[in-house]
Formats: sequence, structure tokens, C-alpha cells
Amino acid sequence: MIRRFLRELNGPQSLGSRGLFWSSFGLCVVVMVLLPAFVSEYEVGNFTYFLTNIFLALGLSMMWGLGNILSFGQMAFFGLAGYSYGVIAANLAPVTDNTFLACILAVLVTMAGAALLGYFLFFGRVSGVYVSIITLVTTLIFETFMAQTAGPKWAIGKALLGGYNGMVGIPSLQFRWGNELIEFFDVPLYYLVIALLLVTYLALRWLANSRYGNALVATGSNPVRTEMLGYDIRLVQLEVFTLAGGLAGLSGVLYVSWGHYITPSTMGLTTAALPVVWVAFGGRKSLLATMVAAIGLQYFAQYLSMTGSQHALVIQGALLMLVVMFVPEGVIPPVGRAIGRWWRRGTKEGDPS
Amino acid sequence: MSTVFSVLYIYLDSIAFLLLSSLGLIIILGMMGITNMAHGEFMMLGAYTCALATHAGCPLFLSIVLAMVAVGLLGMIMESVIIRRLYGNLLQSLVATWGLSLILSQGMLILMGPSLPSIPMPLGGVMLGGRSYAIYRMLLPLIGVVVVVGLGLILFRTSFGMKARATMQNPEISRAMGVNTKLIYLLVFGLGCGLTGLAGALYAPTTVLGPLYGANFLAPAFVTVVVSGGANVILGALMASVILGVVEGSFSYAFGAVIGRLSLLIATMLLIRFFPDGLSGWLVKRGGGR
Amino acid sequence: MSTPILSLEHVTKRFGGVTAVDDVSFAINEGELRCLIGPNGAGKSTLFRLITGYFPVTSGTIRYRGGDLGALPSFRRARMGISIKFQTPMVYYDQTMLQNLVVPLQRRLPVPQARRDAAVLLDKFGIGDGAHKLASEVAHGYRQWLEICMAVATRPSLLLLDEPTAGMSPEETKATAGMIHDLVGEGMTVVVIDHDMEFVRMLNCNLTVLHLGRFFAQGTLAEIQANPEVRSIYLGKK
Repeated sequence: MIRRFLRELNGPQSLGSRGLFWSSFGLCVVVMVLLPAFVSEYEVGNFTYFLTNIFLALGLSMMWGLGNILSFGQMAFFGLAGYSYGVIAANLAPVTDNTFLACILAVLVTMAGAALLGYFLFFGRVSGVYVSIITLVTTLIFETFMAQTAGPKWAIGKALLGGYNGMVGIPSLQFRWGNELIEFFDVPLYYLVIALLLVTYLALRWLANSRYGNALVATGSNPVRTEMLGYDIRLVQLEVFTLAGGLAGLSGVLYVSWGHYITPSTMGLTTAALPVVWVAFGGRKSLLATMVAAIGLQYFAQYLSMTGSQHALVIQGALLMLVVMFVPEGVIPPVGRAIGRWWRRGTKEGDPS
Repeated sequence: MSTVFSVLYIYLDSIAFLLLSSLGLIIILGMMGITNMAHGEFMMLGAYTCALATHAGCPLFLSIVLAMVAVGLLGMIMESVIIRRLYGNLLQSLVATWGLSLILSQGMLILMGPSLPSIPMPLGGVMLGGRSYAIYRMLLPLIGVVVVVGLGLILFRTSFGMKARATMQNPEISRAMGVNTKLIYLLVFGLGCGLTGLAGALYAPTTVLGPLYGANFLAPAFVTVVVSGGANVILGALMASVILGVVEGSFSYAFGAVIGRLSLLIATMLLIRFFPDGLSGWLVKRGGGR
Repeated sequence: MSTPILSLEHVTKRFGGVTAVDDVSFAINEGELRCLIGPNGAGKSTLFRLITGYFPVTSGTIRYRGGDLGALPSFRRARMGISIKFQTPMVYYDQTMLQNLVVPLQRRLPVPQARRDAAVLLDKFGIGDGAHKLASEVAHGYRQWLEICMAVATRPSLLLLDEPTAGMSPEETKATAGMIHDLVGEGMTVVVIDHDMEFVRMLNCNLTVLHLGRFFAQGTLAEIQANPEVRSIYLGKK
């Protein structure tokens, strides 16, 4: 049973599938688990922040890399989930300390929102470019709307929306075990995020190589042909869009439980651009490449701003342009393949099949 | 009487805003299939050119024309260096121009700082029924009409326009008939960018100037493009801006600017449900357009 | 007389000012092999697209097994048993030939078995050696056959082939004719559009002739070949 599941993790939609890949992968997991023993709590917290954004990026990678749907709406769903979590947690606070319920509800609300928007887009047979434009406009208008929610009359139950300055005082993910309040922040949050990330990555990888994954790739590659083979492509697209929205929502909830606040600027123009840069630069067809690029570029941008340079965004914009023009499949897949070839030459393994 | 005037003012103001800010985008999308995500930044560059020229002593009218020319030229440079490589690949060009927009807006922030001194709005105001109306803003719908008429003359009365329309319809046949399609694409992109710079400059005296100046126009311009579609540039732009302008004007009059914006989005979603190729796409399918 | 599997009744399709299909009516019986011929611009491909639901008719009715297809979306028609090979080969260029074939097969089979059956099917059509090559890398004839394979993999009742031999060598054309006869022998209804008269002769079936969007003539191969009016529309005397 497990062996079959493991076999289904490898497939046409995944870059690396053999010994070298999985052993390096295992090594990375071990390193990440042991990390807090070697670096400061601040570093762990910083790394956690970068990791929370990966779910969002993975969703975009599935949607865009496999399904050829370029949605700029991921940050809208990120924000929707963050605000929802804040609102629900604030309103549930007198009843229970358990904010995991708020987390789940927030993600569900976000997925419902994604399904609604997706229904209009895909069952309305709206074409690719217009999907990108409309999802971008949705994100921008959501930002504009939230930015003017200042003042006491903009509250949902006990939660003030906060307008331009956003919502503050959002509680961490926590639950009560007997008499103890178990709060997830710093190192515990880090482990929670890694665990979620591992599960998500493996689940998405399995999905990408499954029947649905094949259908998604076919729909992205040639929707007319796929429909004439009997697939309801509107549903295929709606499903990946909702899934990606849910993943963006997960990022949103983890982010607010890490930082305890959310502002409308997370849905602004420049922030909405970043996931596209990570996914395009890394290699949108590969989940792993997306993860590596997302972490790497975030560190890179932080490094730049710490050394006083304001050029982080300009450089990322330039990277995006250059990648699209010259290396459209992303930077990491060619590197990964080269590593694979070099390794095989060294150990004289046989050809892939 | 003054209510009629004020309602008319709001509608025309809204329509002009949508028309002017989207026309350049619609030309580029309709004639070349490219979505220029750096649209907001080109508007910003138009506004900045106009502001810098005006602060250096140039009369406003001339600064606006200068802005149009400057951004048009910049657009042509962009086309030849970047856009040219991406024809036929709609999503790639969208992403590449998205990267360009990041470079331009953040680059401008680094170069010129977070804001520019604003241009005072000329011509003052007029009082009617207890409200004051800015004369400059009342001019903008008229300027919009002039621009559209001018565009129509270019497209239908010049040989450039004829070649441009032919290339838009069928690039292979046009090329076979001796039209230099590469040059046409360059000039059309320049025209679209020039109109975008013009719009940015026209609205510069109405608001504060900063690197993200264009962000305010982005959502309205893009929804107008979606509702218009690319099949018939002039009719599509006019129909879309009128319909959306009336919707936005009504909702913002009744509920405020933000609800007005929201109504734009909702109206767009409803309209594309029925017209997935935009209004001009529907018009062309029915045999009315070109 | 049983219901024809496909019947077109006064089908008209207009695009703006152009009438691509003008009041066309004819029927095809189950298990038949029919060729749709006519000079360029006769509206044949448009007719195929109307049958598959790519766009709706302007007026008229298309009946499949007696039922009006109406505005049914394409995927429902596919699930009812209609399949098409498009004029310009519509395969997944960035996937291997094997992966291409898995897509239709996995609709009714679990993926691992779909992969095995795909390999078998590719061999049966003689293109097994290209299984792991990308569709963009194989020869044009292979791509045409791949698409026919894909169209057949859904076990359709009505197979529409739009110019299956375009760009093929004479040997490949002959092989294609053989393939089509095999499929008809298995009970499939096949409708073919092609301009290659040699190929049409190899198929040796009833012909429906369209001209300028209108139904022009119908009959056996011999009758149509002997029809002077048909000859003249091809030679342009009309």
C-alpha cells in the first residue's frame, strides 16, 4: 500500500524521481528538523516567515505550471484568510482558546471565495489573459476596500478591521490540552510549518502525477483537445483554482499567527507580483523548484535590503523579465537536470525510462 | 437643473477617466494581442514627464504633449528590445511586462524618491447650485472625444492606419502584400504607449504624484479593457467606458468612491459572463464591426 | 430503417457577414464510412466543428442517435461517443506520445493500466517506437496517427477525421486507409474529410459533396466520379 503510494509520487509531472533525488530530499528534511539546534531563535523565526509563503507559491505552481492558469489572485486569498482568521479568532475568544477552529474556518471561507470567483471565470469560459486581468483587479479592489475600513463602525463582531493600518493583536495558533495552553510561535510554529509543508508537498506531488494531474496538464496544454476527449475542463480548472486559493489561505493563516497582524498592503501591487517572480524564476512546472526559488529569493531580497540596497524589487523585476525572455522554463530545472547527469556519469546508472 | 448638471458631470467624469486610461491598453491588446502590465508605470512616466517639464517652466499644454511623445518613444524602445521576442505568447508577454512594471516603479522610487511636487490644477472652478466644479475636469471628457476622433482619423484615413488594421486582421496576408509588419507593430505599440502617457499627464494635475501613481488607474483601465475586448478598438472602448462609467458614477455618487470601484468589478464579472470576448467581440460576431 | 447515427437538418452557420454552412441536410447511418468532399471553403471543417460543439449552429438541428444536440457542450458530446481528429494536429506537443495517449485512456482505466494500454495501442498503429519521444519531436505522419489513436482511444461510436492524410507519404496514406477500414470493420461510424482523391478512392465509400457551404451531391464513389457537375466545381467551370 505504502509502496504503491510512494511509486505514485513519481511521475511525468515531477523533475527528480530516483535515488539521488529522494536521498537529497531526505537529507534536506533532516537538516530542517535539526536547524533550531544550530541557529538563533530569531533566525528560526525569520525562516518560518519565509516558509509560510511557500504554500501560496505551490498553489500558483500547480495552477500556472500545470494548468496554464496565471492568476494574480493568490494574495487576495492570502489576505482574505488572514483577515478571516483574525475576525473568527477574535469572536471565538470568549468561547474557546482553540484557534485551530478559526484556522480551518478561515481556509474554508477562502476556498469558498476562490470557488465563487473561479466559477464565474471558468464556467463563463473566460480566456487566459482575461483570467489574469480579472484576478489582478480583484486583488487590487480587495486591497482598496480593506484600506478604507478604518474606524469603529468597520468591525465584524469583536474584530476591528483597522483600515489602512490593518488588524492587530491576532492570536497565534494555539489549543488547550487539559490545563495547558499550547501556543505555536517561534520554534513550535517552525515545526508545525515544516510538518505542514512536508505533507503538502508530498500530497501535491502525488496529485500532480495522478489522473487529475494528467487531466490538469492536458487542459493547460490544449483545452479544446482535452474537452473533446470528454473532460469537463471548466471543472478541472475550477478545482485547481480552488485548491490554489486554499493553499494561499493556509499561507495567510500561518502568516498572521506568526506576525499577529495583517494589513491591506499584503494585497498591493508589488506584493502580488512576488509569487509570480518566485514561481517563474524557479520553474513553474516543478513544485520543488518553486519551493527552492521562493526561499532563495526571499532571503536574497532580505539580504539586499539589510545591506542598505533599495534595489531588491528592481532586481527581482529584472530577473522575472530575463527569465521569461530567455529561460522560460525557469532556472532550477536545467540546473537539476545537469546535476542528475553529472551524478549518473559518476555512478554509471542506466538511462531513464 | 443643478442636480442634472451634477449627475451629468459625474457620469462624464467617470466615462472620461475610464476611456482615457484604457485606450492605450486596448489598442495594444486589440492590435497586437499583448497585455501591457506596465501600463500603470507608463501612465506614471507620462505624469512625471509632464510634472518635470511644467516645474521647469513649460506651459502645461506643452508638457502634456511632451509627455505623450516621450512615453510613446519609450514604448517603442521597449517594443524593440523586449516585446518583440514575445509575440504569440500571451502569458509570457504578460509576465515579462509585469517584471518591467516592477523595474519601472521601483526604479523611479530610487531615482526620484517617494513623491514629486504636484502640478496645480489650472482654470479654477465654477459654482453651480452650491457645489463647485473644476473646469479642468470638465474639459477632460472633451479631450477624450478629441483623442478618440483623432484615433479614428489615424486608423481610417491614413495609410498607416489602413496597414495597421490590415495587419491586425491578418498579419500573414499583410506581410505578403508588402506591409512592413515589424514597423507597424513598433508604431502601434508606440501609439498605445503615447496615449497612455497622455492620459497619465492629463490626470497629473488632479492628484498627488508618486512612483505608484499608476496603481490608481490600473483596476479601472483593466476592467474597461476586459469589457471592451480587442476586436474593435474604438467602438469597444467607447461602449465599455460609457457602460462602466455610468455604473461607477452611479454607485460612487450613492455610496462613495470605494463602492464605486467595487461596482466596476462586479459589473465586469457580469458582463464577461455574457460577453466573454468583450463587447467588441460580440459586436464583430454579430457582423456589425470590423 | 433504423435511426441514422448522425443527421443534419437545415444546418446553417453564419460568421458575421459570411455564411460558412448554408442549409445543409444529410444523414449518416451507423457503421457507415462516409467521405465529405468539396473544394476549399466548402464548409466541411466548419460542419465538423458544429457537430462537436466547438461553436453553436446559427439555425437548424444536428441529431445524434435521434436526439437534438442543441447547445450541449463539447465534453458531453464526447462522452456520448463523438470523437474528432482536427484538421491541424491537436496533440499535446510538450508531452511524450505515450503521455498523450494516457489522457483519453485514463478516462475509463486506472492510470497504470492506461499507460500499458497506451503502449500497446501505439504499437498496433505502428508508431510504438516514438512512445517516449515528445510529440513535437516525431515526424508529422506519426503525429497524425497519434491523434487518430487518441480519438479512437475513447471508444467512440462516431469518429470524425478531418484531413487525416495531410502531409503524408503515399505509403502512410495507404496505411491510413487500411486503419480506417479496420475501424469500420469493428463497427465504428467514420466520417472523413480529405482532399486527396487517391485516398478517397482507397476508402471506396459513399461521398457527400459540399460546395460553397451548400449540399451539392451525394452518392457512391462511382456515381460521384461520373458526375460532371462535381468535376466542374473542382475545375472552376461553375
